[in-house]
Amino acid sequence: MGAQALRLSETVRYLETEGLDALVAVNYGHNSFLESHAVFVLSGVRPIGESAVVVDRAGSSTLIVTPAWDAVRAAKLSQTSKTVGTEDLAAMLAAVLKEHRLDGRAIVSVGLSTLAQGLAKRTEAALGGNSRANELFIRQLARIRSPEELAASEKATAIAEQGYAHMLCCVRPGMHEYELAAELYCEMKRLGAEDNFLLLSASQHNLAVRAAGGRVLDIGDIILSEITPCYQGQFAQICRTTVIGKPTPLMQEKYAILQTAMRAGQTAAVPGASVRDVTAAMDDCFRAAGYGDYCRPPYMRVRGHGLGITSDLPGDLTAESDTRLEAGMVFVMHPNQYIPETGYLMCGEPVVITPTGAKALSARVAELDSVAA
Amino acid sequence: MRTVQPCIIIGSYAWDQDRVPRDEFQIRIGALNQLMDENGWKAVLVYGDAAEHSALAWFSGFTTRLRWGMALIPREGEPRLLISMSSRDVPAMKLMTWIPDVHSGWNWESAFDPWLAKLNGEGALGSVGFELMRPPLFASLQKSLGNRFSLQAADEAVAGVRTLRPRELSQIRAASRLVQTAGAAFVEPWRLGKGIETAALAAERTARMMAAQDVRTLVSFDGGRTLAPFRGAFEPQADRQAGMVGYIAVKHMGYWADMFVTGTRRASEVERQVQASLRTLLELAKPGAAAAELYAKAIGALAPYTLHPVLSGSVGRRIGLSLNEGGEIRSDSRHTLRPGEVYSLAVGGCDPQTGGALTSAMVAITATGSELLHLSPASKLQ
Repeated sequence: MGAQALRLSETVRYLETEGLDALVAVNYGHNSFLESHAVFVLSGVRPIGESAVVVDRAGSSTLIVTPAWDAVRAAKLSQTSKTVGTEDLAAMLAAVLKEHRLDGRAIVSVGLSTLAQGLAKRTEAALGGNSRANELFIRQLARIRSPEELAASEKATAIAEQGYAHMLCCVRPGMHEYELAAELYCEMKRLGAEDNFLLLSASQHNLAVRAAGGRVLDIGDIILSEITPCYQGQFAQICRTTVIGKPTPLMQEKYAILQTAMRAGQTAAVPGASVRDVTAAMDDCFRAAGYGDYCRPPYMRVRGHGLGITSDLPGDLTAESDTRLEAGMVFVMHPNQYIPETGYLMCGEPVVITPTGAKALSARVAELDSVAA
Repeated sequence: MRTVQPCIIIGSYAWDQDRVPRDEFQIRIGALNQLMDENGWKAVLVYGDAAEHSALAWFSGFTTRLRWGMALIPREGEPRLLISMSSRDVPAMKLMTWIPDVHSGWNWESAFDPWLAKLNGEGALGSVGFELMRPPLFASLQKSLGNRFSLQAADEAVAGVRTLRPRELSQIRAASRLVQTAGAAFVEPWRLGKGIETAALAAERTARMMAAQDVRTLVSFDGGRTLAPFRGAFEPQADRQAGMVGYIAVKHMGYWADMFVTGTRRASEVERQVQASLRTLLELAKPGAAAAELYAKAIGALAPYTLHPVLSGSVGRRIGLSLNEGGEIRSDSRHTLRPGEVYSLAVGGCDPQTGGALTSAMVAITATGSELLHLSPASKLQ
């Protein structure tokens, strides 16, 4: 049984346990790499526009996609009992609920809070105004990657690494940032990446990473890249730092702090550990090096985060999170950090939680790379 | 055309003061001030997300790469831009707007409330794009407004003052040139026998290497009967005699241009009728032309074929800072075309036996007729 079929079955069991008649999951037509895509989790389809899945307690399920013409493609991919297309999601949802004989029945919704409020209001009206929300349900349901999802995460990681290797071959002083980003992005797409949260920027002293712009690369630049291809619904992220020319001993010394923090985080990230403790293990390395005051925005953001689009758990790796890690969770760990002497540096890998800690999915972990000037 | 929204807009974009200087925004804000005076609004809040941010970009220059952005534009005082990114990202976001006061919207109370406190008295605020806002953010906003201020939807009124500026038309022409180059790059790999996804990727790469801000493609795996987003299989051409159908949209300096790309190896009746239908549209697309009548004439010229399903019952719409600025040309449209509007026109048909064909053009409506910005390439592959 595939992941979607299994999760449809688990959804039916949940409905039985809770005494509910149906679950309605919606998506707003965006594919956030930091959020759960409830429709994809249950159907295996990433519709082009806004979409919904209706699952009733008898085990029957319907996928609703927009625009209407996407239904042909979606029907071939969907694990639901039925697929329909429409230009008006809320109106079709009302019709599908009627078809499932769910008018006025006990319905739990997922994802309404992520919709644009205009559509959210119409969807709530279609649900009869008396559904209850459980925004956590799909995130929890998909928090552990299935074997095929883990394989897709590994493939996404391999695409990221091959893309980065391609980037190292392409980079040269005189290029625009956007040209280098185009090379990297298109190579990963050629390798099968269906989406990509790609930030790439360069400076002699970076404040943070950002989207590629018109800046012309120069000798001595530090190129930051946050490379996040998505393969079959699984995002994987690597964070890399590349110097054009020879890295200075100071750069190497400071980059080693990030690598130490990465290893400390991996060691601490065992099943049952709290995200707070894992974050502290990484922050401690910066504190020990004298950068404790920099363990906060704007000098860094978070020490890692979950990866969509199935489940974003364990969420952001922050000192405030009490979330407990579980074996099989996949997320990115990245002790990226602004260091006053060098600027912002990046070091990060996608990891899977194992009994001995967080195992990197990447074949080669981050080093301070350099390319010839 | 609906296309897959990427998780982030990765392409190059910064506020180009040479192309859109500060005085251009002063003119636009001046029009907004007049609206505020007419309606008694103390300020207008302009919201946009990564998918739709046309009004936000028009007033602020800011194009949302991720999540949301909101310009807080007061009648008296300084504007502020809120972005849904961390404080770490604020310096980079400042490069995209003329508004100097940019804050992370993640700490809502500290970003919004102090700005609101500077407004005198109480009353109404205009809101733009709020239908797109997620309910939790709207709840935070309402809490901040309390009983002191109320919101009035200003979408229609603001759309009314947004006439296409000459500097905008210049930027749309640049986007049009870019999509033409990318469209040519779409056809070439197919002509050489490569698969449709290889062709689409070549087009995307061409556009991105020319500083495209965003690129969207759709391709047909079934001879033009349907369109599909990226599959990633990169299969070779199954039939070396078959034609190709694809779609590409390119955003450049904030502005979209798009086109269908059809390559033919065998002359087909549906292709001929599709071309005839587009010619009809181009002949009639003039100021004062009724959109519903344009639609009827285009469908008439397409006979015996019906409109291709992927066009969702529309043969055109306005295009600019959004791929769909409204003004759909449908059977039930009630508007007429006006000078200063830019339309993307598209027609297509499908023959169950021979497959489908789609073609398109972009035109700027002028005082006396229309300026053709581009046509889909007429691609005879042999």
